[in-house]
Amino acid sequence: MSFSVAEGEFFAFLGPNGAGKTTTISILTTTLSKTSGTVRIAGYDIEEQDRQVRENIGVIAQRPSLDKSLSAEENIRIHACLYGLYGYRPTFRMMPAEYRDRVEQLADVVGMRESLFTKVGKLSGGMARKFEVVRSLMHTPHVLFLDEPTQGLDAVARHDLWDYLDRVRRDWGTTVFLTTHYIDEAESADTVCLINRGRIALCCPPEEMKRSLGADTLEDAYVDFLRRDGADHLDALELGRETAA
Amino acid sequence: MSSITLTAGAVRPITSRAARELNAVVAVAARDITITLKSPATLVMSLVMPLLMMGMIGGNLMQNMAGGLDFNFGTFMLVGMLINMLFMMTTMGMVTLVDDSDDNYSAELLVSPVSRYSIVIGKILGSSFMAIVSCLGVLVVGLVMGITLAPWQLLGLLALAPLMCLSGGALAMIVMGVIKSNKLANMAVMMITMPQMFLSGVIIPIGNSSGVLMVLSRILPMTYCVDLGRAVVYAGSPDFDSVVLFNPMVSLVAIITLTVLCLIVGTYLYARSEKNR
Repeated sequence: MSFSVAEGEFFAFLGPNGAGKTTTISILTTTLSKTSGTVRIAGYDIEEQDRQVRENIGVIAQRPSLDKSLSAEENIRIHACLYGLYGYRPTFRMMPAEYRDRVEQLADVVGMRESLFTKVGKLSGGMARKFEVVRSLMHTPHVLFLDEPTQGLDAVARHDLWDYLDRVRRDWGTTVFLTTHYIDEAESADTVCLINRGRIALCCPPEEMKRSLGADTLEDAYVDFLRRDGADHLDALELGRETAA
Repeated sequence: MSSITLTAGAVRPITSRAARELNAVVAVAARDITITLKSPATLVMSLVMPLLMMGMIGGNLMQNMAGGLDFNFGTFMLVGMLINMLFMMTTMGMVTLVDDSDDNYSAELLVSPVSRYSIVIGKILGSSFMAIVSCLGVLVVGLVMGITLAPWQLLGLLALAPLMCLSGGALAMIVMGVIKSNKLANMAVMMITMPQMFLSGVIIPIGNSSGVLMVLSRILPMTYCVDLGRAVVYAGSPDFDSVVLFNPMVSLVAIITLTVLCLIVGTYLYARSEKNR
């Protein structure tokens, strides 16, 4: 597969289960080795300049990755230190004022300041997810990878999270690479890319996709396309069997 | 949601590569120490372990089998147990790497822009906190049994402690690099630590070992750790030759060589397994 994402773009990468979305995102975030080809993120090669790539990306993985034994703030503090933003101090109060202000500001934006010092294991899935987003934005990444970020969240939590992410894009100009099963979340994307059976099937702005497939919503267009693509695939398989016979 | 406008923040990142790696080591180690301090059960287990090892096994050996030795078995055993605790508890602490993988926290660590060695060394140092707590337990049990060390001897062992912990943690990394199941990792760590306890001269002298047992003892890093520890404690003592097997420099070189080797191989296996999971 081959595609490019412009700086500041909101890029949605959609596809059914097992299509290869998480595999692609794992390669792009340097956590999985690619078998061939070239990948560049923010101008850096993911194999030869993986450190620079990691400095420039933020990742919200499909599976939550906060340490449940620590408080949300402790998770954020360790992240900030791993990215070399601040020297490690054993308590929040001992951290530089700059760090404290930044954490409190980000926690305020997601309305979570009161839960900042609560053990993550005691937070709801939505609350923990918001802190995960806060953590991934501490180092102001140029590219934010969101692998099904709202999976398991209720409607209100999803709405709040997207409100926050929209603000991040607007205020920071962050490039967002999204995979999701909630197709409506990709309605406001600049580009939607459909992946099926490990290959890119369609890549264009959502409006163009809806127009070309004669659908009112992106979800309708997506379902319609996958049905047609699936039927074509089955036809091709059938043809192959007949030819072989 | 509030109407606060986000600012990118006037962060001045640490620019020196070495300082960043060191900061990462400290942060990773601090995470494990924080988790240990928040878990009273872990702390209690760290203190109970010496009671079982030193008090019961060591106590029985001292009362029933140490009569024919030409040196004080109590001091011999106390030093062995202190090194054993550093080695064993650090090794056991490394099993949490498998937990990190299960909880997906390893993704957070491995996607950060720091060396894999910094992550592993930080993890080893964090695990060694529990080992230090266990050593305090050993000293308390020793005190109850009437076995003590002079302050200078304790300081000597304390100075060696980071190397001993690093050695145990590096050995554990080989296992963590290939095992991804918590249950299996715990069993494997027990299989590493228990034989070492008996083959490395922790509580049973190995000066007269021969054949397979001798060969096994010479390839285990803990043998050299225990011997170097005893070399420090028995320095200048008439019992030095009866207790210490190797020249301290030989032990030091052996520990460093085996530790570096295990660290390189273990970190490579761990990073590879996480990248291909």
